[in-house]
Amino acid sequence: MRNQKKPSFKFRNIVESRLFFPLLALILILIFDLIFVPGFFNIEHRDGNLYGSLIDIFRNGSTVMLLAIGMTLVIATGGVDLSVGAVMAIAASVAGILMNPSALRNEVFFVTDPTYTFQPLWVVIGAALVVSLICGLWNGVLVAYMRIQPMVATLILMIAGRGIAQLITNGLRVQITYRPYAYLGQGWIILPFSLYVVAIVFVLTWLFTRKTAIGMFIESVGINFRSSFFSGIDEQKIKLLVYTFCGLCAGIAGLVASSNIRTSDANNIGLTTELDAILAVVIGGGSMAGGRFSLLASMIGALVMQAITQSMYAMGVPAFALQAIKAVVVVFVILLFSQQVRNLVRGFSSQKKEV
Amino acid sequence: MSEWNNNILEMMGIDKAFPGVQALDKVDFTLRRGEIHCLVGENGAGKSTLIKVLTGVDHPEAGKIFLDGEEIHTRSPQHAQTLGISTVYQEINLCPNLSVAENILIGREPRRISGIDWGKMNAQAAEILKNLLDIDIDVTQLLGTYTVAIQQMVAITRALFISSAKILILDEPTSSLDEHEVQQLFKVLRKLKENGVGIIFITHFIGQVYEISDRITVLRNGKLIGTFETSAIPRVELIAKMIGRSLEDLDEMSKIKLETSKHIRTEALLKADGLGRAGSMTPFDLELHSGEVVGLAGLLGSGRTETANLLFGIEKPDRGSITFKGSKITDYSPLGSIKRGVGLCPEDRKAEGVFDDLSVRENIILALQANNGWFKYLGVQEQYKIADKYIELLQIATPSPDQPVGNLSGGNQQKVILARWLATNPHLLILDEPTRGIDVGTKAEIQKLVLSLADEGKACVFISSELEEVLRTSHRVVVLRERQMVAEFSGEVDENTIIHAIAGSEE
Amino acid sequence: MSQRVNEFIAKNRKFIPIFSTAVLALVAYGIGAYLFVGMRNPQVFFNLFRNSSYLLISGIGMTFVILTGGIDLSVSGVVALTTVSSAVLLREGWNSWGVILLMLAMGMTLGFIMGSFIVYLKVQPFIATLAGMWFARGMCFFISDDAVRIDDRLFTILGKTKILIPGLAELAEKQGSPAPYISIPVVVGFVLLIVAIFIAHYTRFGRTVYAIGGNEGRNEISARLMGLQVNRTKLLVYTFNGFCSALAGLTLALFVYSGHGLYAPGFELEVIASVVMGGTMLTGGSGYVLGTLFGVLVLAVTQALIQFIGSLSSWWTKIVIGVLTLIFIGVQTGLATRKDRYQVALDAELMESKRIRRRRQALVWGGFVVILVAGFIFIPRITGNNAAETAEAGTCVVPPYREEEAASLIADGAVIVYNRAAGPQCVDEIYAIYPDGRITGNNGENDVVKQVPPEDVEQLLLTISDDYGWFTDDIYDTYHNPCRQCFTHYIIASHGGQEKAVTAVDGGVDMPPGYGLTLAIIRPALPEFLTPP
Repeated sequence: MRNQKKPSFKFRNIVESRLFFPLLALILILIFDLIFVPGFFNIEHRDGNLYGSLIDIFRNGSTVMLLAIGMTLVIATGGVDLSVGAVMAIAASVAGILMNPSALRNEVFFVTDPTYTFQPLWVVIGAALVVSLICGLWNGVLVAYMRIQPMVATLILMIAGRGIAQLITNGLRVQITYRPYAYLGQGWIILPFSLYVVAIVFVLTWLFTRKTAIGMFIESVGINFRSSFFSGIDEQKIKLLVYTFCGLCAGIAGLVASSNIRTSDANNIGLTTELDAILAVVIGGGSMAGGRFSLLASMIGALVMQAITQSMYAMGVPAFALQAIKAVVVVFVILLFSQQVRNLVRGFSSQKKEV
Repeated sequence: MSEWNNNILEMMGIDKAFPGVQALDKVDFTLRRGEIHCLVGENGAGKSTLIKVLTGVDHPEAGKIFLDGEEIHTRSPQHAQTLGISTVYQEINLCPNLSVAENILIGREPRRISGIDWGKMNAQAAEILKNLLDIDIDVTQLLGTYTVAIQQMVAITRALFISSAKILILDEPTSSLDEHEVQQLFKVLRKLKENGVGIIFITHFIGQVYEISDRITVLRNGKLIGTFETSAIPRVELIAKMIGRSLEDLDEMSKIKLETSKHIRTEALLKADGLGRAGSMTPFDLELHSGEVVGLAGLLGSGRTETANLLFGIEKPDRGSITFKGSKITDYSPLGSIKRGVGLCPEDRKAEGVFDDLSVRENIILALQANNGWFKYLGVQEQYKIADKYIELLQIATPSPDQPVGNLSGGNQQKVILARWLATNPHLLILDEPTRGIDVGTKAEIQKLVLSLADEGKACVFISSELEEVLRTSHRVVVLRERQMVAEFSGEVDENTIIHAIAGSEE
Repeated sequence: MSQRVNEFIAKNRKFIPIFSTAVLALVAYGIGAYLFVGMRNPQVFFNLFRNSSYLLISGIGMTFVILTGGIDLSVSGVVALTTVSSAVLLREGWNSWGVILLMLAMGMTLGFIMGSFIVYLKVQPFIATLAGMWFARGMCFFISDDAVRIDDRLFTILGKTKILIPGLAELAEKQGSPAPYISIPVVVGFVLLIVAIFIAHYTRFGRTVYAIGGNEGRNEISARLMGLQVNRTKLLVYTFNGFCSALAGLTLALFVYSGHGLYAPGFELEVIASVVMGGTMLTGGSGYVLGTLFGVLVLAVTQALIQFIGSLSSWWTKIVIGVLTLIFIGVQTGLATRKDRYQVALDAELMESKRIRRRRQALVWGGFVVILVAGFIFIPRITGNNAAETAEAGTCVVPPYREEEAASLIADGAVIVYNRAAGPQCVDEIYAIYPDGRITGNNGENDVVKQVPPEDVEQLLLTISDDYGWFTDDIYDTYHNPCRQCFTHYIIASHGGQEKAVTAVDGGVDMPPGYGLTLAIIRPALPEFLTPP
């Protein structure tokens, strides 16, 4: 009678584990910081809250972590969602307008009262999330039922979405002054509040995918479309689900981002974040062809990206030179994960084929 | 080798093994100049492997290949082509988005200073088609707008023209052709024959074998059964050689069968009435009873898998109906079937069954989980229990239930898929080629297992290319030929009768 | 008779997408000309080409990439890098022609490197070119943080030369109106187009490009089996696109006379949209280079229409482009499921194709309905409003700050210098406020002067210094990608021995209240420019 697998510390299992590469990357970066960036690991304790570069990694990385959660599931089905940045902008616009609709009258009304809001907070957040759900649903229908290639289908919302976001705010940037909303991105309960948001979404998603059959079905759809059909799995519904969910995650990320900068900026919120999210998943070991996924690995991937950014900032590297460095790192990581290298590693540590 | 030899190709003692399977076992093959030589055998017999070895896709462990008297080692299909061995596959390896003329001539286009000379190219292509194949079509149209038959002709033209081929290999060229198009193709082949080209023709249509070939080579389970002059071997004998008596003899099996046949229920579990689908199966009637194993016998392409797919809901019928446990089915889909208690162990385990990266455990419980839906999750402990049960039952060789299925040998993968469907505890289990690629000992195990399932009160449909297996395992045998059900026998029928039924009335 | 028409259509089915785009562009322009007097000015038509020549040039290169079934996201980065590099090199005094050649070589090298990754290291094109884009944009900022102006004689000539259209020039003279003209980049674009069409249809390289793409990668396998040089072709395609991106960057530099790492944001999407609308499928294998011209035209016409409408703002462009792309993709994929007959036999999933095709048709019709409805809602709103006359400036590319000018104004005694750029009219205005109450303004073409009591200036300074904290650390730079509707500002104030300069963008991320209030108090005091006739 077999019992549950015992956690094995054999070298082979560690190396084969999904978390190995991203964790290794993260550790390497932190070691780099330890040596080259003085004060990186300092954590200050002020008014009962913790501050510091390490904490900033989490805080600034919340957006990408949220996106990565949704993106992981989409990529696991063999697809991709390029519209998450635009959906972030749409969600932020909806929220901003609902708090301060003066932009619709073509005036920028500087609200000075931090307790003023046009609609109560729950309507603001609820509406934004509903809208982002609809965006995700739209993508899902295009991919699952119209059988349009995911890259192409989500490209449409990526282009049009920013236009829609600007439409909602009438082209103006809406200032956000409502204090409770700003708490999302700027609040602090020992640790930054956005981190708790991420944690909640992560836990709920993990329960949703691993404590139900959905996670397994997502993986099977990504691994072998046709076999899934033969096994009775409704592949269309699964795809619809993951794209809708990704839209929702993007909506939450949009709320956090806009609250962070206290503006609903239809043009700039989420710009290029879709690429960060995809990379977070890839660094976390997710294959763009679909299949097995690990939410935790993707989160670590997002942290890796953010840690690189943070370290560069701390070293005084100008903000945009960062992009070039990111590019190099990314290519390096991709190559590292390429099939050739994977096979090499597997050659060291895998079982022989059965005869 | 011999100097003046009419053989343009000689393959001697070819051995090729894949993990767990001996795909080719000391196979010899010769091809004469100007001969059309058919290569026949059921799935897994080794035909495609032999061709892959010849064209350099795979490399043999042993054996030699001689082309026109000289020994060759083909490195790749492109290399084979330069040597004069051209292949036209079932999947037409051309570019449907280019014009016909381009597909024939790209790489050797007539050029002027101002670029490709389209006028000349089109004229040349039309001329080649006319001379070589006697075909007259508009070569400026995109290849994809033409029927498969025409596309095949174009593929043949390119194969011949680009590298003045000595040997032309055609892999299942007639699968998508209608009768008229087949005749067109044969006309072309005969013309090529006159020009001294050696043609290897792989097909499962026995009628066509007799119509076009000069010699026939039969492979079975990786071994060469024999090479015969077409005019010298009667049809029935050919079929017998392809699928007939194997060397094992298990009396035990017939005893078990006799026992279990006592438990067959009289009322039908599933009744198919005039069930059919254009392009797949002509409408048929079929009754399945609990406790009974029904075998489907017939050659490749006769419609066995299509029947299985129709019964399970992979394809929706456009005619007729299925009544299950007394009520008519409205939901034709795999999930619907699973919920009713029907399972299908599919023919192509790689494309339709196995999830390489998922573990053995996950592969086994997948259909069961699909039945439960999204939210009734089988807890991990439960999953291990089920997995362990079937690993034990089917003797699946795996170091642990967490091993990714892709790492297992083909035979064990097949067992995992089988376990998946057993785990759903179906009332009716359809097994399409469950013993393909499995070693002999396991084959017997599975056959016994099928009978024991019947004993438990399940209904089974058993499909296999090995006629003997079908006879051994079935209480009743249904014969299919060319997408039609043509005969039904009891499981005690003798082999010859069946072979005659499969071969048809032309003899 | 109708039999022959049907036959004709069936034979030339492959031309339907490109034909429909061309028709769409012309019809849209026709509608615009009908609604707006301004659009009937032939110069407006030619301006379409002038304003979008860099889009066309880049589109031509991208067409080849997409035809092979790949994609190149790096174009906007290479364009920006080209503008910055050339601006800086010219500033350093390099020879103009040398700079041009060097930029083209640089583009080709970047393309080659990315192509190598894709072909030999088997990195997905999406990722490889994405990294390329980041790398290129990043390099921009290594070269220069701020925008750099281009002041070079050759560039000025290349950019500002008006090429008169023969035939139309004489006509215009007779009518007494200015002769319509195009610019050199337009000519370059068309020459490139012709060369590209030749390559695509008359060289083996071009035909191999077509052979590689489409059919979900199966064509590439077939092409290899057919003996075609697939690897070399793919490599060349990316190199060529690098060349086109660099050329497009040079064209952009000629248009705005400056270079900055932030230029051309989202450009790659516009390029891809033009190519797709021109009838080239993203999956590759089918499409025409000429179609890209029409796709570019559609975008340009859309933009022009929206500008003429005036009351709608430019973000509508994005939505319209998105919907149009959707419709085109729907049409393309709809046509595709009908095409390959043999594929239907082999691919069991396409048993569903009828149902899918019907769904896609529904999508296409839905898109048309959306546009019609939008048209009905908005056209009444717009016919009364002929705001913009000539769509001269297609897109507003933010000019760099006139720092040296500002510094010299301060040296001359001004106490506040304010530089405002971008905005809906794409302004570039610099004002100086002097202690004696004189306020001057210059917008690159005109000067204005205003006189206020000196005490007012003193009061202004005190307010921003004491009340709004201008000289404290609480006021800092807030810089972000400027949006097309909003202004970017640059203020230097000098008072009591202190001098502080701050740059910011409207509604910037964390624009401190003090800054906003300072802006609010300075703006009303400034003199106004008369609107040009």
